[in-house]
Amino acid sequence: MSIAPVQEEITSSSTDIAPDVPWITLVWNDPVNLMSYVTYVLQSYFGYERAKAEKLMMDVHTQGRAVVSHGSREKMEIDTEALQGYGLWATFQKDD
Amino acid sequence: MARAFARKGKGRTVRYAAKLDAVERTVVAGLMQQVHDLVAPEPGDATTAARGGNDFDSIVSGLGGLGMGVSVSAEDQLPDARPLPHDARSFGDRDPALERLLPAGNRADDQASAEFRRLTEHSLRQRKARHLESAIASLRAPGSGVELDERAAIDMVVALTDVRLVLGERLGLREDADVDRLEKELDAADDDDPRLHAMSVYDFLTWLQETLATAMLPDAGPNA
Repeated sequence: MSIAPVQEEITSSSTDIAPDVPWITLVWNDPVNLMSYVTYVLQSYFGYERAKAEKLMMDVHTQGRAVVSHGSREKMEIDTEALQGYGLWATFQKDD
Repeated sequence: MARAFARKGKGRTVRYAAKLDAVERTVVAGLMQQVHDLVAPEPGDATTAARGGNDFDSIVSGLGGLGMGVSVSAEDQLPDARPLPHDARSFGDRDPALERLLPAGNRADDQASAEFRRLTEHSLRQRKARHLESAIASLRAPGSGVELDERAAIDMVVALTDVRLVLGERLGLREDADVDRLEKELDAADDDDPRLHAMSVYDFLTWLQETLATAMLPDAGPNA
């Protein structure tokens, strides 16, 4: 990973978050995952159209990361677990 | 000589077919077994690792060992003096390859990462182990053809990913620039540098996965 992550100091993450604060799932660039495979995962897991999946894949490749989904913290944790299951470098965080 | 994966049919009868010779199958399945040993929830657990393992071990023992000379076991690696990637949050002295398969879930919040890991690690390990077991079984099926239905193809393409992630980490591939650096180093390396063979295996896995992932893209078929 060549792009530094956005650092955010959160001392208590689970108790003081308003329920409507959106969270995001990110996929980070790595030198191993194939462009075709990342596109395949985004299409088959999220049901995204090819064009949207390819745009997100290219964002990962050229910008180092892309936001692949938005929603509640619980849903973002589910998405992160699923994408890590596919071998993508996925994380969740509060949207800034 | 291997032949790439190609899609046959569509819908429920879709199949993904490739040809791999005995050595290629042994190499790929052997690496998958090593990654299985690394990631499975209980390495050596009788319900998974030992299933049919004796036959397989006896086959590969005559062919130069599990990865055909490529070991991804942590004990067999040369020390890598470089620091771990900043974002691979440390949760103790875990193997960096395992850290890559099961990365921190939240880069901004260690507590959230620890909670995520506690809740998801076991099921992620189980899931990865199941993909690898299925892929190994597909590669050990009789004949030179590998023919996969949709479920087995998903297992195969994910298992190939996890093997490439581990082998890539062992080769020091942590960011895009590392690929060029490694290729330059290998151009100048001695013929007996073990990384040359490991890199050729990595490239083979990359080619194989590329053909399968491309064939599996939802609207990539001839009738799309």
